[in-house]
Amino acid sequence: MNSFVLGKYIPLDSCIHRMDPRAKIMAMLIVLISIFFPVGWIGYGVLAVCIIGVVLLSKLRFDFIWKALKPMLFMLVFLLVLNVFVLKTGTLLFTIFGLSVYSDAIFQTLFIAVRLILMIMITTVLTATTKPLDLTLGIEDLLQPFQKIGVPSHEIAMLISIALRFIPDLIEETQKIMRAQASRGVDLKEGTMKEKIVAILSLIVPLFVSAFQRAEDLANAMESRGYAPGQERTRYKILKIKGRDIILLIGASCLSIGMIVIAFAV
Amino acid sequence: MSIQFEKVSHTYSPDTPFSYAALKNVDLEITEGKMTAIIGATGSGKTTLVQHLNALLLPTAGKLTILDRVIQADEHPKKLKSLRKDVGLVFQFPEYQLFEETILKDIIFGPKNFGVSEEDAIKKAKEVLKLVDLDESYMDKSPLDLSGGQKRRVAIAGILAMDPKVLVLDEPTAGLDPQGSLQMMSLFRRLNKELGKTVLIVTHDMEHVLNYCDDVVVVKDGEIYCKEDVKSFFKRNTLCEELNILPPAIIQLKNACNQCGMHLPDDCFTVDELASAISKQVKRHE
Repeated sequence: MNSFVLGKYIPLDSCIHRMDPRAKIMAMLIVLISIFFPVGWIGYGVLAVCIIGVVLLSKLRFDFIWKALKPMLFMLVFLLVLNVFVLKTGTLLFTIFGLSVYSDAIFQTLFIAVRLILMIMITTVLTATTKPLDLTLGIEDLLQPFQKIGVPSHEIAMLISIALRFIPDLIEETQKIMRAQASRGVDLKEGTMKEKIVAILSLIVPLFVSAFQRAEDLANAMESRGYAPGQERTRYKILKIKGRDIILLIGASCLSIGMIVIAFAV
Repeated sequence: MSIQFEKVSHTYSPDTPFSYAALKNVDLEITEGKMTAIIGATGSGKTTLVQHLNALLLPTAGKLTILDRVIQADEHPKKLKSLRKDVGLVFQFPEYQLFEETILKDIIFGPKNFGVSEEDAIKKAKEVLKLVDLDESYMDKSPLDLSGGQKRRVAIAGILAMDPKVLVLDEPTAGLDPQGSLQMMSLFRRLNKELGKTVLIVTHDMEHVLNYCDDVVVVKDGEIYCKEDVKSFFKRNTLCEELNILPPAIIQLKNACNQCGMHLPDDCFTVDELASAISKQVKRHE
């Protein structure tokens, strides 16, 4: 489970790491939206080059990005199979097992694959270069305007940061319980269906019990230190927009406008 | 020889920036039928060491022989299940592993996983409940309704019900009240003496080491610092100082007496022994 890289922060020193989280989140959203436009091979090529450029700037290693992509391979295969079944347009390529495969099915799937890969790359760069705490600060600030219509931006940010904070703890706890139950003869890999269900139950019940226990302890600890939701709070870390953040936003916007032009002009 | 470590190393997350060598070249023999204490500072590798005993962790280098089963690095071991039945491992704060609706169901969970029939398991469960000082009225209660100390007993009972030949306990008395922990320790001693089980116990309590154990293994920075029988370990006064361990009260008293000019023998380990040694000295002076 240590190889689980999705959402993991990698402490490195790069200009992407030093950028303001708000700028990074906004830029990511803008690029994500432009990925969704049907921009064809040229468009995706440009996007890919830009995103790979950002990865290079962030000093993240490509095998790390590859690890983040790996869990998606299964989904890609699934999509390919589904598309082959459903799409019957374009030219007939070949027939296997009585199924005819058309060119559009292949292209559609490839487009979806490219989109997914680009999306995962860009989100991985965001989470790998931004400390979880900074990320939530950024989200809180970006949600600020919505507070007027009743969006509890601070509470949402607190919720996210607590959830992120406890992921490693819960993984550790899971491993601990798995070991304890393995000592009692639980085998998650082998056995009949019924044995497997019991095995999973022996993991989930203690995990829930301890998660609720943690939640209660944390709530008490926060309350005893005077935390009250909805109250005005000051911040230790003040975020400041700098020149590089503006460059990032302008770059992302230009890219996005370019994609829109390609999508509607072609 | 029942348990033998030969040049065993264990590295967590090897080949990553988080790589950490928790055990380095450990050579160790644990004598069958003895009660062995494993002591050492926090983070010294005690827990990593004991998790090798039922192959929860596998050595990244070296060879391990446990009850005639050989576990070697880079080789996936077979018969893990029978090894886990023979080596019962009680984790630190084992109460979190309880999950069944009733205590009885939880205790028979382990034995049933190892192929014991339900009737035999229930019979065994009643025996072990008695061993851990809980009566049969508890059997149908939910384990989650118990107090912390009682949960601990149920969790330990769940391991004892598997009838392991080797019992490994990782800080079994942490967080228990003094009386409860003494009861626990004498239970483990009884299992060792009366039922002939090999017991390994990770502990920070030197009183427990002196009063209940035969051998002591000191782990320091992932290496075995020394392995000795308990009495000769506490005879060497400098050792405790070197390791920054507070010796048991009786040893402290003896040392204090010696500092005041008495010449007490090294082998006083009980109140009676020390008292008679002191009275001999006093009489000689009179």
